[in-house]
Amino acid sequence: MSEVGDKIHPISVTINGETYERTVEARQLLVHFIRDALGLKGTHIGCDTGNCGACSIIFNGKLVKCCMLLAVQADGAEIETVEGLASDGALDPVQEAFHEHHGLQCGYCTPGLLMGATYLLRDNPKPSEGEIRRAVRGNICRCTGYVNVVRSVRAAAGEDVAEFPATGAEGGSP
Amino acid sequence: MLLESIEYTRPADIKEALTALGSSEGAAPLAGGQSLVNVLKHRVASIELLVDISRLEELRSIDVGEDGVEIGACVTYDEIDRSEAVRGALPIVSEVAAHIEDQQIRNRGTIGGNCCLSDPTNNFPPLLLALGAVMNVESESGKREVPAEDFFRGYFMTAVGPGELLRSISIPRYGPDSGAGFQSLSVASDSKAIVRASARVTLNDGISDARIALGVVGPVPVRHTGMEDALRDGPATADAVREAAESIGEDIEPISDTHGSADYRRKMARVIARRAVTQAIAEAGGGE
Amino acid sequence: MSRAPAAETAAPPVEKGERLGKASGKSVRRTEDGRLLKGQGEFTDDIWMHRQGFAHFVRSPHAHAKILSVDTSRAMSLDGVYTVLTGAEAKEMCEVPFFQIAPPPAGQMEEWPLAVDKVRYHGDAVAVVLAETRDIARDAAELVDLEYEPLPSVVDTVKAADDDAPILHEEVGNNVAWHGVFDYGDIDWALDNADHVVRIDRLHFHRFSSTPLECNAAVVNWDPGTGVVQIESNNQMPMFASMVIGPTLGVGSNKLQFRSQDIGGAFGIKIGSYPQIAALALLSRKAGRPAKWTEYRSEHMLSAGHGNERTFLDVEVPVLSDGTILGFKVRAFDDAGAYLHYEPLGAVIWSQVTPGCYKFKHVSVDYTETLTNKCPTVPNRGYSRLQHLWMIERIVDVVATELGLDPVETRKKNFVQPDDYPYETPNGCVYDSGDLPASLDLALELIDVERWRAKQKELGTGSGKRIGIGIGSTIDSGTNNFGQAQIINPELPFSGNGEAAYAKLDLYGEVNVDLGTTPQGQSHETTAAQVVADVLGVDHSAVNVTAGFDQRHNTYVGFSGTYASQFAVTGLGAALGAAEMLRKEIVTLAAIALESSEEEIELEGGECYVRDERERAIPFIGIANMVYSNNTVIPPDLRERIGLNCRYVYTPLFEAPDKERKTGNLTLTYATQIHAAVVEIDEDTGRLEILDYAAADDCGRVINPQIVQGQVHGATALGLGASLYEAFEYDADGQLLQSSFYDYHALTALDMPMMKYGDIESPSPFTPTGAKGMGEGGGAPLSTICSAIQDALSDSDSVVADTHNPWWRIHELLSSGAANVPRGVQTEART
Repeated sequence: MSEVGDKIHPISVTINGETYERTVEARQLLVHFIRDALGLKGTHIGCDTGNCGACSIIFNGKLVKCCMLLAVQADGAEIETVEGLASDGALDPVQEAFHEHHGLQCGYCTPGLLMGATYLLRDNPKPSEGEIRRAVRGNICRCTGYVNVVRSVRAAAGEDVAEFPATGAEGGSP
Repeated sequence: MLLESIEYTRPADIKEALTALGSSEGAAPLAGGQSLVNVLKHRVASIELLVDISRLEELRSIDVGEDGVEIGACVTYDEIDRSEAVRGALPIVSEVAAHIEDQQIRNRGTIGGNCCLSDPTNNFPPLLLALGAVMNVESESGKREVPAEDFFRGYFMTAVGPGELLRSISIPRYGPDSGAGFQSLSVASDSKAIVRASARVTLNDGISDARIALGVVGPVPVRHTGMEDALRDGPATADAVREAAESIGEDIEPISDTHGSADYRRKMARVIARRAVTQAIAEAGGGE
Repeated sequence: MSRAPAAETAAPPVEKGERLGKASGKSVRRTEDGRLLKGQGEFTDDIWMHRQGFAHFVRSPHAHAKILSVDTSRAMSLDGVYTVLTGAEAKEMCEVPFFQIAPPPAGQMEEWPLAVDKVRYHGDAVAVVLAETRDIARDAAELVDLEYEPLPSVVDTVKAADDDAPILHEEVGNNVAWHGVFDYGDIDWALDNADHVVRIDRLHFHRFSSTPLECNAAVVNWDPGTGVVQIESNNQMPMFASMVIGPTLGVGSNKLQFRSQDIGGAFGIKIGSYPQIAALALLSRKAGRPAKWTEYRSEHMLSAGHGNERTFLDVEVPVLSDGTILGFKVRAFDDAGAYLHYEPLGAVIWSQVTPGCYKFKHVSVDYTETLTNKCPTVPNRGYSRLQHLWMIERIVDVVATELGLDPVETRKKNFVQPDDYPYETPNGCVYDSGDLPASLDLALELIDVERWRAKQKELGTGSGKRIGIGIGSTIDSGTNNFGQAQIINPELPFSGNGEAAYAKLDLYGEVNVDLGTTPQGQSHETTAAQVVADVLGVDHSAVNVTAGFDQRHNTYVGFSGTYASQFAVTGLGAALGAAEMLRKEIVTLAAIALESSEEEIELEGGECYVRDERERAIPFIGIANMVYSNNTVIPPDLRERIGLNCRYVYTPLFEAPDKERKTGNLTLTYATQIHAAVVEIDEDTGRLEILDYAAADDCGRVINPQIVQGQVHGATALGLGASLYEAFEYDADGQLLQSSFYDYHALTALDMPMMKYGDIESPSPFTPTGAKGMGEGGGAPLSTICSAIQDALSDSDSVVADTHNPWWRIHELLSSGAANVPRGVQTEART
C-alpha cells in the first residue's frame, strides 16, 4: 500500500448545471457514478470495452464515453447528460429532429447518440452525411441501421431530408 | 467491467508524477485511459496505483519549429487533428490522428498512450518509426532521447521503465523532395487493423532514401530494411515499388487469427507497403 | 379470415379493420419517444428493489469438463457478500429440470438453473454470488474455488453427430438433439428427369447474433411473505419463460410476475434468459432478498445465446433447360450448442418457407440438429428461416452462374407469380399474397441497375477493382402456428397462436389499452394507439397504451411476448378486437343515454352523437359515468353484460399440422423483401465496399410507414454486419474467440451505406387489418452480398459458399481458381 495514492476520494462534479459532492472509490467508473450514485439513468451501458458509445456524455465540453473514465477523474468537471437537453419538459431541436424522423426505436443507444449529435452540431452546424457518420462512428445502434439517425441529424442541422438520399446511381456510401 | 480495488493520485507537476511512479512497482501512469481503463476492466494487469498525468500542462504542448514537431505525450488525437500547426508541418500526422476509432476516443486518447501501451494494432508506432521520430523519456535522474526503433520492445513493453515517463515525441520535418505515406487494411471503417504500413521516401533522380515500417506483423512495428534496400537508388516507378515489396516474405511472422492467416497478412503487408510507398512518392512529387 | 372470438368476448367478428384509415396508415410520431429521448425510459438496470443484492455469475473457462469441487468459503467470507448459490444447491431447491421441447432421447436431457456435475460450454454458469454492491459481487466471484477435470470437446456441427464424438449429455447417449427427413414431391424423380443436375458440396451459414445493445438483466424477488416471484426483466417471451421455470421452481404461474417496460432491443436473443432468471429466483429465495443482475457484454457474448449455425451438405438441384428449377435435396446440420434453449424447434421452423420465394415442387431435407460444446443457440432475428432462405438463394444464384443464365430472369421464372396467391407450398403452407417480380424490379430500379451494369462493363479488368451486382430474395413468415412443435415432438400440447389485449374506458372516460406483448423498439404503443383510435373515433394521442408487459394485468395467453414478426397481426389483431368490443359497448350505452337506436350512433372526437344531430351527444366521460358510478341509468339486464372493460384474444385460424407427413399451414402471413446491392472489391486485398443498396419491402397493409421502414433499415444493417464483419467463432478447444465489440465488430454508421427503400403493399387476406407480420426481415443482405461477390467473380472459378465474407475470404475467392482450390460445385448435363 503506497503512501502516495488513496482508494477513496471526495469529488465535486457539476452535471446539467447542478453540483454534486460525493465520496467515491478510485476504482468506480464514471458511468456507474452517474447512474448508481446520482440516479441519472439516462446514460446507458451497452458493453465493457468502450466500443458501443451508449454511455457518451459531454465532459468539459468534449464528447467522451464515461465508462472509460473513473469517477475520480471527474472532480471539478462540468458534465452534460441527456437529462439536460430538454428544458421545462420541451424537447430541444436535436431531440425534436429524432422524434420527427424516427431516429430511435428501442431508445437504448439514443442518449449517447443525442449527445454525439449535440456535440457535432456545436462544432459543425451543417455537417455532410459523411461527417455525421464519422461523428457517430463510436455509437452502436442495432435497431435503426443508422439511416434515420443520419436523417435526424441532418434535419436538426436545418437540412431538407425529404429527398435524402437521392435514388439512383448518385447515391451510395461516401 | 468492474475494476479491482485500486489507488489513485493526481500529481501537480511532472516532478510529483515521477516520484509517484517511482514509489511502487504497481504504479502506472493514467493519461487518456482509452486503453488502460479497458486493461483494468479485464483485471489482467497488476496495477495498484494510478498516477493521473492527463492534466499536466508540461505534457500537453505542441511545438512546431523548423526542424520538426514536438508533441506532448498527453496531447489527445483530437487536439492533434485540430492543430493547424501540425497540419501545416506534417499533415500525415494529423491524418493518422483523425482516423483513430471514433470521436469519443479521439477526445481522450493521447499519442503517448498510443505509444506506451504498445499494442501491435496501434496507429502511431509504425508512423513514428517511418518518420524517424525520437521519444523523449524523463525520469528523476534526467531526460533521455530514444529513437523510435529502440522504443517499442514487445507487447505492452516500451523503453519507458519504472519511475519514468514519456514526456513528448519529436518528429522531424522532411523537405519538399520527400514524402510520407500511411496505409492500413482494417476489419471495417476506422477500426481494428489487419496490417499497417508507413513510409517516408526521398526522391533525387529516383529514390535516394526510404524508411518503411510495417505494423501488426509482429509484437512491435518492424522496419523492413529489405524493402528499403530494394528501393534505394532505384526508380520511383510502380513496377520498382511492386518488385521491392516482394522482399517482404518469410522474414516477418505475423499472427493468424479470425481476420486473416499469417500468409494473408504477409501478402497484405506487401500490398499495403506498396501503397504507403506510392503515397509517399506522390507527396514527394514523383511517381506515375 | 379471422375466427369468431372466444366465449368471454361478445363482439361480432371483425371485418378486415374496415374502420382503419384515419390514424392508421400514417407516419404518426411515436408515443414512446417522449420518455426515451429524455433518458427517462425504464430499462431493467434502472430498477432498484428495496434491500436488493447484486448478482454475479461464475462461469466455466472450459468448453467441457467435470466439476470436481466447488468451494464457496472464501467468497462467503468477503465482507458484503450475502450468499453464494452452487449448482448442487440449485438442483436441490428445484422440483424438476427444465422442460424440454425435444422428444426422447434428447428430451431426457437434465438441465438445471446452474451446471451441476459438468460444464458443457465456455461460459456455462456454475455458481452465482449475491453481494451488497456490484463491485463486491464481482470480487467475490473470483474467490469461488472450482476444480475441473477438462474433457475432450466437440465444436464441429457435423462431427458432433458421429458415434465417437465426446458426448455432452450422458442421459441422452449421443449429441443428436433431433433428426428427421422432410420429403415433399418426388425429388428422386426430379433428379432422374432433369436436364441438368447442379451439385454443391457444402454451404455454410455462420454463427452470429443481433447482440442487442442492452444485455439481459433481471431483478428477481422471491417474496418470503407471499411466495410470489416478482421478475423485473427484459425477457421478451415471458409466458414461455413462465412455462419453463414455473414447474422447475415449483411456483404456479399465478405466482410468477413477469414485468418489463422498456427493452433495449432483443431480436430473439432475449427469449433465452429464462435459465438465468430461474437461478436468480433461487438465489433470492436463499438470500431472503431481491437479486439484481445486469449481464456484462462479454457475458452476453459468451452465454446469452447465439443464432443458429447451419451446414448444408450434398445439395442436389434438378434444373430444366429453360431454367425451371424443380426443387432440391440437401443434408442440413444445425448446431444447437450445449443445451436446448427453445431448440430443437428450429428443426421445423424453416419449413414455413420450404421453397423460399419459389415454386419448387420437390424438396427433400435430411435435417439433423446436434449438440456441441458451444453457447446454446436461441432464436435470432429470422430464426431458422434465415439459414434455409440463404441456402435457397445460393442455389438459385449458383444454378444461374453454372448454366450461364441471367440471374434476374432465373428468379422471375421460378418465383411464385402474383396470380398464384394464395399459394400452397409443397408442405401445405399458404403464402397469402405478394408480387415478387414487381418487388425485384423495384429493387433494381432503386439502384438504377442499368447504370451500374454500364459502369461494370466500363471498368473491365486490370484496374485492380471489380464491381459486382447482387440480388437477394427473402420471405419473412410471421405468426407461427405452434402446432408445428408437434412435428418435432408429437407429445407436445401446443398449437395455434394468439395474443390478448384489453381496451377500456376508465373512470373519466379515458381510453386505455393493455397488450400482452413486450416491445423492444417496434413501437407497439404507437401503432396500437393508431388502430384503436380509428375504431373509437379519437385522436391517437388520446389512446393510452400501457407501456410494456405486466403479468399482473392478466393480459396474456401462452404465446404472449414479442417475437417471430407477428405483432402487426396478433398484437394489433387483439387490440383491434378489443377496441371493437369496446366500441360496441359504448354504442349501446350511448343509445340508451341519447334515447336513439344503436345504428344511429356515431363516434367522433371522444364523443358519441346521433347521426345528423351533432348536438345530441354524450362525451366518453358521460359513458364511463354510467358504468362506473351511476349505473341505475342502465337497464338491469344490461348491467351484467357491459363493463367497458373488454378483454379480447385474437387467434388466427390454424389447424394442427399432419405430424406424419410433416405438412400443414405453419404461418399465417408471408412478407417479402427483395434486396439489390452494388459492391466494389479491391482485388489486391479482397476488401469490399458497398456502393449502392436497396430494399423493396412488401408487408401487406402498412399501419405506420416510417416505423415499417425503420424495421427494414434495421434488419438490413444486421444482415450486412453479419455478412462482412460479425461472426462468433470457437477454436478447437471450444474457446470463444469474440467476447467484446472490439473482436466482434458490430456494424457502425461508417460501415452502413445509405440504403434506399421502396415498397409494395399486397394486403393479406388472412388478417384483420390486411397487415402482415414483419420486422425480422428474412436476412436478404446475406444472400445479396453473396450474390454480388459471385457476380464480381464471374471470370474466376470460385463459388461463394459462406454467409460470412471478411476480406481474407473474398481474397481467397478471387484467387482460388489460380490456387486450384476445389470448386465444390459440379454440373451434370443430362440431355
